[in-house]
Amino acid sequence: MLLRVAQGVAIVFAAATLAFVLLQLAPGDPATALGEGVSPELRATIRAQYGLDDSLATQYGRWLWSLLHGDLGWSRDQHRPVVAVLADALPRSLLLMGCALGVSLVGGMLIGAWQGARAGSRSDRTTSTALLILYSLPEFWLALVLLVVFAHQLHWLPATGITGEMYDYMSAGQQLVDRLRHLVLPLASLSLVGVSVFARYQRNAMQESMAQAFVRTARAKGLTESAVRRQAWRSALLPVITVTGLLLPALITGAVFVERVFSWPGMGYAMIRAIEARDYPVVSAGVIVGSAVTAFGAALADIARDIADPRLRSL
Amino acid sequence: MRLSHTRWLASLFGFPFAFALAACAGSERAADAGDTGGTLIVTVPAEPSTLFPPLLSDTQGAAIVGVIFDRLAEIGDGLETYGDRGFQPRLATSWTWANDSLSIAFVLDALSRWHDGRPVTAEDVRFTFRVYTSDSLVVDNKSLLGNIDSVSVRDPRTAVFWFKRRMPRQFYDATYHMYVLPSHLLDTISMAKLENAPFGRNPVGTGRFRFARWEPGQRIEILADTANSRGRALLDRVIWSIAPDFGSSTVKLFAGEADFLEQLRPENLAQVARTPSLRLIDNRTLSYGFLGFNFRDRSNQARPNTLFSDARVRRALHMAVDRERLVRNVFDSLGMVALAPAPRALIPDTSAFTQLPYDVATAKALLDSAGWRDSDRDGVRDRDGVPLAFDILIPSSSSSRQRYAVLLQEQYRAIGVKATPKALEYNAWSDAVDRHDFDAYLGGWQPSPGLVGLMQTWASSGSSNAGRYASPVFDALLDSALTTLDPTTSRRYWARAFQQIDDDVPAVWLYEQRSPVAISRRFITAPLRADGWYVGLADWRVDPAQRIDRDRIGLGTPP
Repeated sequence: MLLRVAQGVAIVFAAATLAFVLLQLAPGDPATALGEGVSPELRATIRAQYGLDDSLATQYGRWLWSLLHGDLGWSRDQHRPVVAVLADALPRSLLLMGCALGVSLVGGMLIGAWQGARAGSRSDRTTSTALLILYSLPEFWLALVLLVVFAHQLHWLPATGITGEMYDYMSAGQQLVDRLRHLVLPLASLSLVGVSVFARYQRNAMQESMAQAFVRTARAKGLTESAVRRQAWRSALLPVITVTGLLLPALITGAVFVERVFSWPGMGYAMIRAIEARDYPVVSAGVIVGSAVTAFGAALADIARDIADPRLRSL
Repeated sequence: MRLSHTRWLASLFGFPFAFALAACAGSERAADAGDTGGTLIVTVPAEPSTLFPPLLSDTQGAAIVGVIFDRLAEIGDGLETYGDRGFQPRLATSWTWANDSLSIAFVLDALSRWHDGRPVTAEDVRFTFRVYTSDSLVVDNKSLLGNIDSVSVRDPRTAVFWFKRRMPRQFYDATYHMYVLPSHLLDTISMAKLENAPFGRNPVGTGRFRFARWEPGQRIEILADTANSRGRALLDRVIWSIAPDFGSSTVKLFAGEADFLEQLRPENLAQVARTPSLRLIDNRTLSYGFLGFNFRDRSNQARPNTLFSDARVRRALHMAVDRERLVRNVFDSLGMVALAPAPRALIPDTSAFTQLPYDVATAKALLDSAGWRDSDRDGVRDRDGVPLAFDILIPSSSSSRQRYAVLLQEQYRAIGVKATPKALEYNAWSDAVDRHDFDAYLGGWQPSPGLVGLMQTWASSGSSNAGRYASPVFDALLDSALTTLDPTTSRRYWARAFQQIDDDVPAVWLYEQRSPVAISRRFITAPLRADGWYVGLADWRVDPAQRIDRDRIGLGTPP
């Protein structure tokens, strides 16, 4: 476990350092990001004030020193501590990604298990085709289509944001409905693709599991078909758990685009804004959080895999 | 001989020097009960960085600050900057010029209160000047306050501005560039820490709207200030709803989730026209766009640019461009051809100088005479084996400039010039322009009233003069236009300055953009001012017959 934690910390640190260096090497800085109406003198003043003229090593050293003291710095673009920026954005992203992961996992496993139990049938082939189409759709494109159809054309669901503009003036019940309505489109954009991924893995695993000897034995012992499938499904969980850990980075990436389309003010929104404004402290902190979430998710997947298959614990 | 103050002002403005204005309390139209109420939702593509007035850097923040805070006096709709002509009282109800015109005493409205109930004092005005000119803060407007020597407090209701020298725009300098700040909330914070003080996200002003809440990444809400001495704003609330994706912003508008969208694009016009609940309001802006030439060699900036240092080439490149067609193509009816490095709204007399015509034959002849001929018949002119080719640097974030670059490429090809659009990410583009690392670039400026900014953008010593255009004649004419106290003489200098720079062709003036706004038909608006649509927002109201649920909430606090 300690080794796993150390690996996670090393990955997070390496990712944050890489992000810091790459952003510094990119053309422009916070002074150029202010726009066309800003004079070169003012840009020079900003660079001097924030130490942007210092060497890359000096800036990196300063950043590292602050980081080691638990200080993520100030957002130059938002004029507030980076911690406050993350405190606003992270829970919103975790809500969206958590719901998307849950819906993808449950939906994908149910559909995949159902398919795997009747592999090769007409309904399986039809469902596989539909899932393949979903699987090939980019999330941001799907998000745009959903936005245009359900918000712009049909006016069934709100277009953007976490809540409506009049949220603060609603009753508690109305607020709950409002939140759910705002969640539907971004959640659908992320989880429709996720469902197709999990379903494909679950179907294949289930199909393999159904062909195992223990399934024949169970049937021979006279177990009902549903009981047999439950046993087969448990054995087919392993690949799905593994892919859950692997899918986290993709889910985070997808969330960045979906947050942009639906103006969901989470980590994706914060990161894009920070990159455009060359807000180095926020970008670095965002990478730290993103890689930490990924490392944590992968560790959780490993633990879940150990629980699902005790043989792996001794490895 | 020194003019007496009376004679000087009389000659300058044509009316008596002591211009005491009626107290503004009650001068605004009294709000009838039926006029008040309503919620305006403005959808915006970006979140402001801060609402601390000295540090404003974006249009969204400017709009919100512009209705929460007040200036001492407000510029008139004509954006006249000479003397105090056209200025309307705001926090100051009257002002008096000193005999030598080197100071102006502003008398504050006795009824003015900050939104926390404290009275507005002359100390607030003095403190405001200290903040705007502090070396510890990065204040964009600081350079515009250079002629103000100091601000003193004569008594709690009178602040006196002292100037270094008599200039036509002393009054404008003292009022337009600064929103008055509450010293009682800020003077205990060191200047260096003001930038990140909580005040920037929870401001207290004096405007007819007061700040209510800022939910990061989602919305900013302001409410009518019912205790305001100039009368409450007619709307109950305005909410700026943040939707960073422009497409999402338009969806919110057309779905009725938002009521107002600024910076509409040409492709949205037809849809707004087809939407019964929306209407368009024409909105002038002060921005203009141009194709700027680099007068210095980009690889060795000590040397002149072999291509653009030749006036014949620059004139040919100007005359080969059908600017009218480009504007129609890119902006449809939302643009017009720019005449000079200033929008029409700020040019004293647009008929006093002439433009180079669109004339392809003459353009070709000019290039021939400069020695640029297509000797190898490859379609591109050359001289001494060097092709007549250059890059046009454009920011990839601007779709209109990308379209302009492609159309310019096409028009230049017709005269044997190879122009290659080169799109860069915005920061990279800005960095390259700052370093003068370009052949030609598509740029844009939005000058403030008074046109003082031309010194920075087009004068020889101007720090934002990216192409390093240097004309002592233009510099002298510009200086005379800006400093001459007689308006008629000044207009003549302006005409000559614009003629000079148009003849020198440091750039091809391409377009002035109009920026119509789309707004729900429920709203009855005040005229939009070119330097900010929001200036009259406190007088906007909702037609009582068209109110919807969110207009009927009232001013109560959220449950």
